[in-house]
Amino acid sequence: MINILLLVLLAEILTAAGQIFLKTAANDLESHDLKRIGAHVNFLLDVFSKPALWTGFAFMSLGLVAWLFALAQGDLSLVFSLGSSQYVIILFLAHFILGEKIDRMKVLGTFLVVLGITFIAMSH
Amino acid sequence: MKIGHLTLKVFALIILNDLGDTIAQALMKKGLALTGITQVTMSNLAEFVSKGVSSPLLWLGILIYALNFFVWIVILYKIDISIAMPVGSFCYIFVPITAIVFFHERIDPLRWLGIICILLGVHFVSQSKPPDPSGGPGCD
Repeated sequence: MINILLLVLLAEILTAAGQIFLKTAANDLESHDLKRIGAHVNFLLDVFSKPALWTGFAFMSLGLVAWLFALAQGDLSLVFSLGSSQYVIILFLAHFILGEKIDRMKVLGTFLVVLGITFIAMSH
Repeated sequence: MKIGHLTLKVFALIILNDLGDTIAQALMKKGLALTGITQVTMSNLAEFVSKGVSSPLLWLGILIYALNFFVWIVILYKIDISIAMPVGSFCYIFVPITAIVFFHERIDPLRWLGIICILLGVHFVSQSKPPDPSGGPGCD
C-alpha cells in the first residue's frame, strides 16, 4: 500500500508541476480575438512556441509513467481515488509558485480530499 | 470570469470527458493487467516495461487520455472551472463502478466514504472565490 501511495504521489507531483508550467505558458499568451478569421492559427503558433508548454508536457509524461507503475500494482478503484491528491498538490504549488490565494473554501475542500484519501488508504 | 451558464451542450461535453477518462483508465489497467505482473521489482522491471510498451490496449488508453486532456482544455475555455470541476469529478464515481463491473474489484464502505469525501472536497475547492479582477495570477 505504501509503495502504491508513494508512486501515486510521485505521479501527481510530476503532473501538478506540469500543470503549473502549462498555466505559466497560458498566463504568458498574448490576447487573441478568436472570433477573427485565421486567428486560431496565430493562437496555436503562439501556444506551441512557449517553452513552458513543452516543459509542462514533459513533466506530465513522466507523471503518466509513474501513474502506470501504480496502476499495474494496485486496484483501479484504489489508484484512481488516490489520484485526487493532485488537488492538494496543485493548491500548494499554485500558492507558493504562482502566488494564487488560498481561501477558506479551498482549505475546507482540501481537508475533505485529504480525509477521503486517508479513508481510502485505510480501506481494503 | 467566463459566463457561467452550464448549457446542455457543455454539460454533455464534460460527461463525455468523464467517460473518456474512465475508459482510458480502464484500458490502461487492462493493458497492464495483461502483462501478468502485479508487483514490479528490479528483477522483473525489464519484462514489465517491454510487455507494457507492446500492449495495444495500454497505448489506446494513453491516446484517449491525451485526447481527453485537449477536450478538457476546450471545456475550460467555454466555461468557468468552478462549474466544470464538480461535473468533471463524476469520474470518481464512474471509475469505481467500472472497477466493480469489469475488474470484479470489491469496494468496502470505507473506500466509498473516502470517495464521497473527495467529491465534496472537489466541490468546495472549485467553489472558492475567483481571483480579484485587478490582474492577479489566474485571471484571464
